[in-house]
Amino acid sequence: MDTSPGKIRGNSWRISGKKDILWLLVWIGGLLVLWVWDALFLNAPAFEKIQTAFLNSLWTGLMVVVLALFFGWFLGVGLQTLERSESTIWYTLASFAIDIIRSVPQIILVLIGYVLLTLLLHEGVIRSTMGQLLWIAFTIAIAVALEVADTVRERINYFRTLDFVDAMLCCGISEQRIVNVEILWKNSRSHLLYKLIAIFGVSIFLQCSIDFIVSVGLSTDVSLSNFPMTLGSLLANVDSKQDILALSNLFTDPGYLPTIVTTHLQGVSVAICIVFTLICVYMIANGFVRRHKLI
Amino acid sequence: MSSRRYDIHIASSQRQLVDISDFVLAESSITVLFGESGIGKSLSALAIAGLIDPDQLSVRINDRKYDDYLRSPDLLDIRRNGFFVFQEPSSHLNPLLTLRTQLREGSLSESSTEKRILGKLWPGSSTSIAQEILDVYPKPYRPSGGEKQRILAAMAFKKMSTADSSNPGSLFIFDEPTGNLDNRLRNDFLDLLVENFRLHRTTVLLITHDYSIISHFTISYPDLAKRIVFKELMLDRGKLRLREFRPSEYLDWMADRRSRPRLAPQTTELLKLGQSVRVFGRRLLITRDHAGKDPSPLIIRKGALVYLKASSGVGKTTLAKLMMGLLSAERMSMQFQGMEYTETTHRKMWSERVWGRQMTMVFQHADEALNQNASVRDVFKGLPLKTAMDDAGTIKRLSELFEEGLDREFLRRPVKHLSGGQKQRLNLLRSLVLDTDVLILDEPLNGLDFASSVKVIANIEGKLQRGGGVLVISHNEEIFDALASRENIYYLHATA
Amino acid sequence: MIGILSTLIFGREGLRKKLAVHGASLLFVAVIFGIIILMLNTRRTEQRELESGVQTYLDLKDVDLGDPVDRAIFRESLQVFFPGRGGQNDSLLSAIDDLRQRQFSNPAYKSGNHLQGLTGAVIAGLSGMYVQFLAVYLVVLVIIYFLAERIGIYRFVKMKQHRESYLAQFSEQVKRFQNPVERKNRMAIERALALILLKATGKGILLAVLFSPAYVIAYAMKTTVDTDSLFFMVLLGVLSNGVLIHTANRFFTLLVAESHKGYVQTAIVKNLAASYEWDTRDGISRRALLSVRKGLGSHVFQHILLNAKYQFIPTLKEHASFLVTGLIIIEMALNIQGHLSYELLQQILYRQYDVACFIIFSIFFTVKATEMGIDIWYEREKRRYGY
Repeated sequence: MDTSPGKIRGNSWRISGKKDILWLLVWIGGLLVLWVWDALFLNAPAFEKIQTAFLNSLWTGLMVVVLALFFGWFLGVGLQTLERSESTIWYTLASFAIDIIRSVPQIILVLIGYVLLTLLLHEGVIRSTMGQLLWIAFTIAIAVALEVADTVRERINYFRTLDFVDAMLCCGISEQRIVNVEILWKNSRSHLLYKLIAIFGVSIFLQCSIDFIVSVGLSTDVSLSNFPMTLGSLLANVDSKQDILALSNLFTDPGYLPTIVTTHLQGVSVAICIVFTLICVYMIANGFVRRHKLI
Repeated sequence: MSSRRYDIHIASSQRQLVDISDFVLAESSITVLFGESGIGKSLSALAIAGLIDPDQLSVRINDRKYDDYLRSPDLLDIRRNGFFVFQEPSSHLNPLLTLRTQLREGSLSESSTEKRILGKLWPGSSTSIAQEILDVYPKPYRPSGGEKQRILAAMAFKKMSTADSSNPGSLFIFDEPTGNLDNRLRNDFLDLLVENFRLHRTTVLLITHDYSIISHFTISYPDLAKRIVFKELMLDRGKLRLREFRPSEYLDWMADRRSRPRLAPQTTELLKLGQSVRVFGRRLLITRDHAGKDPSPLIIRKGALVYLKASSGVGKTTLAKLMMGLLSAERMSMQFQGMEYTETTHRKMWSERVWGRQMTMVFQHADEALNQNASVRDVFKGLPLKTAMDDAGTIKRLSELFEEGLDREFLRRPVKHLSGGQKQRLNLLRSLVLDTDVLILDEPLNGLDFASSVKVIANIEGKLQRGGGVLVISHNEEIFDALASRENIYYLHATA
Repeated sequence: MIGILSTLIFGREGLRKKLAVHGASLLFVAVIFGIIILMLNTRRTEQRELESGVQTYLDLKDVDLGDPVDRAIFRESLQVFFPGRGGQNDSLLSAIDDLRQRQFSNPAYKSGNHLQGLTGAVIAGLSGMYVQFLAVYLVVLVIIYFLAERIGIYRFVKMKQHRESYLAQFSEQVKRFQNPVERKNRMAIERALALILLKATGKGILLAVLFSPAYVIAYAMKTTVDTDSLFFMVLLGVLSNGVLIHTANRFFTLLVAESHKGYVQTAIVKNLAASYEWDTRDGISRRALLSVRKGLGSHVFQHILLNAKYQFIPTLKEHASFLVTGLIIIEMALNIQGHLSYELLQQILYRQYDVACFIIFSIFFTVKATEMGIDIWYEREKRRYGY
């Protein structure tokens, strides 16, 4: 009789129960394989560009996650506090403002952020690459922080419907401790982490898309050549576009594949990097949900 | 008398949950199963009925893999001819189908006894009331918890009415079917159960924490003494064991309680709540009589156990929350420790003066009231204690209600790994350590086995002896009627 | 509009409040944008007057103010004809220099759009683009709603069927191959392995398409397909940017969450059919799943589906917003002339911020209108179920 932990339904429970870890390894492994392939077949300047673009995009994505967590937590808890305060006017105003921001498509908010970045560069307020990346991260974080705030509020509201909050209030535990420690830190870490994983994916998508879009330039003084190199801006590069265009040859001549993966490597590598990352982030998020039984 | 025997082993991905050999059910009998909450009664019953999801838990029954058991003729028979009434009525009814649809779908469409059964479960009211409820889509507050529980019971009785007593698959399991019912409705349910049992002689497993059922069965159905079996599931040296529970254990204890003199009542008033409170558009009236003709303010004196009674869904817990300042009343007046508390009292006053300092409340669902992801030690953090409690102090306080294995390891254990009974005791202890003047207890014996209930009652009496006042809300009428003196029993009524 | 008004007047309080908030947001944003557009228009009018004055000097016959000699003569002429106005003369010269530089470097000046602003003709042109954008958006939204539910259901049923992953199937076949007895059926094993590889590759390609940003797919197909057509735009809107997969995942999540609820157990003990095999007596009918209205009869899954569909409705708001993001990306990134989002990008480049504001407001209006529509729909469903 075998009821030891881990032996639920089938032999591969251990792996199938940790799909998020598996896909994280797949992502890292896949990127390593791509890196080695590019090192072997791609010319040095292009290879350097891809590395820089990837690291910039990755760094920005991680900054978005940190900033979104900070903004979202603060916003979520702040709104809860305002809602329960005696003066409802501030809560009404805050909800109204958030309702408006929520209805603006994220890409528009990020585009506005890029327009402002153009102006800041033009005026010389932001000069360094790091400063630009930080501003980009800040802009995207503003666009996605509402999702974190929604998660924070959902969790707090869920525990308020139970006896959880009332029982602790009755015992003299402060409301700040109940919300921030008991509910959010001890009982919602998994939910917030899941949301942050999803946000990382959204930030990569938005970043790449907006960089691709603004390749036409948002001003004559400031253009993509001024912005830091990211995966999206590299994909918008003429050489990369030519490489992607070459993919359509595969429809008429499947034997063209070796040429694609050896010659048209810059654009194809960037595209693979973006798409592969988005797929892996999605799988990691789904696996995380299953492992932590969030549904 | 023949019986069914089960060896049941259930484990999650992290630990063993149920490990019992010889889980025995007497055929064509009513087995009343007691035991601490979370010990494995419901889980074992679900396993027998084939209702556990093999993707969530690892199960073996009688040394067979669960997938094999699910395909076995025994189980298919149970599924076809038996029924299971689940514990939580709210979540076991589909909110997007009317109760009528749910009462008549699947194998229940075959029975024509619906009207009779509903008449028995809604006694004294016209049949149209039950029929009105049937057209409702079940929501959190409508119908009430008691009404939803009766609907689930009605499903079981409809199925039972078509049962063939010679068929061994006729196994009917009722998991806490009376938790939301007051005494009168509970007795109506038990009477209907016995009536159907007499007709069809099915095998019944009735899981409950309500030990006063023993009194009802013993007094009302002495002829069924051999057919009604009382058992208790308990942990014995780390392994689950099913033992016979002698009715005399409970009955003798009750007799002893009734004969004991009550604590001499003190005159010092700790709290006085006005006889009428207005909340959610309704008026809650406090009276001294069951009929509601003798309104009275509710007074808690030093050393007094006050017992508040009402039918299910009237608003006992709501009243308790109003007294704690957790809800805002439309109209309320309460004198407490020399201060006046009304509907305009600022929340800050409640949090600075009352909560955890002068008054506290123990909620009935320990699973909700405690942080499941906190450790036992963490449960006591953040409390406004007069003197801070270190590990040794915590262990000392825990020993008031816990016996087994109290050490630092126990303090580190997550609350979610405790049994339901242990959680309820911890829930209670968290409030007891605050040593407030007044303690409100909402269903304090919820989820406890008999031995723990006795301990908790002893603890409550200790608090009374130290001069504290206690307000109890409970369905265990038989027990608390014996503990509270006549002048400290109040009734709650709701009017528009 | 009549429906919305009547709902506002006669609808229930909760819905009335929501619609009132949406309406107030629209009004507030309209006022803000209106003020911005007005300010920009006023500035443009002033600029137009100033430039027309300055332009007369640039238009002087046989005078090239870029030439240093002509410039010096011009300065001295100003000093002769307008003595004692040294500062103003210098300002005039600066204004001329500025205008010359703008005409040289600003693409809006080159195209003649620099002082056009938000005129009636421009609004008429944008209206046509907006109608086109809206049509594509609505078609894509409906298709995604339908497909997301079907994909979510298919995934749920597959999960309940406990089919092994491709990796597990592959390793199973490899083990068979290593078994000397089973190796006699070599061809069958090889066929099975090939089929698994083909299915896995197909799934991989499908995932790559579904997750790809639209511009990657569009550029990959640009030489073989007309990527500017409306049909291709709809196809991209449905299949790319991850919109479909995320919406389907959301629905799948709701199905899984509902399947864990207590009423499902009650349905099982009432002996409703509970098998998830395709097209068996106690199982799930494939045809019933494809049909829009047909239910699943006495099956446990009917309970789950009913609740999941109900809860799916309010989540469509966030997916609609993401869908609009996707369509904007498609139009902008593919530089599709005559489309609303590309026009937005152009107007930002030309610094026609008033026109850009107008376009942004129209997009905001689209999202808000969708939210209102979904709120009304959800309220109707709530009323149906007694909420």
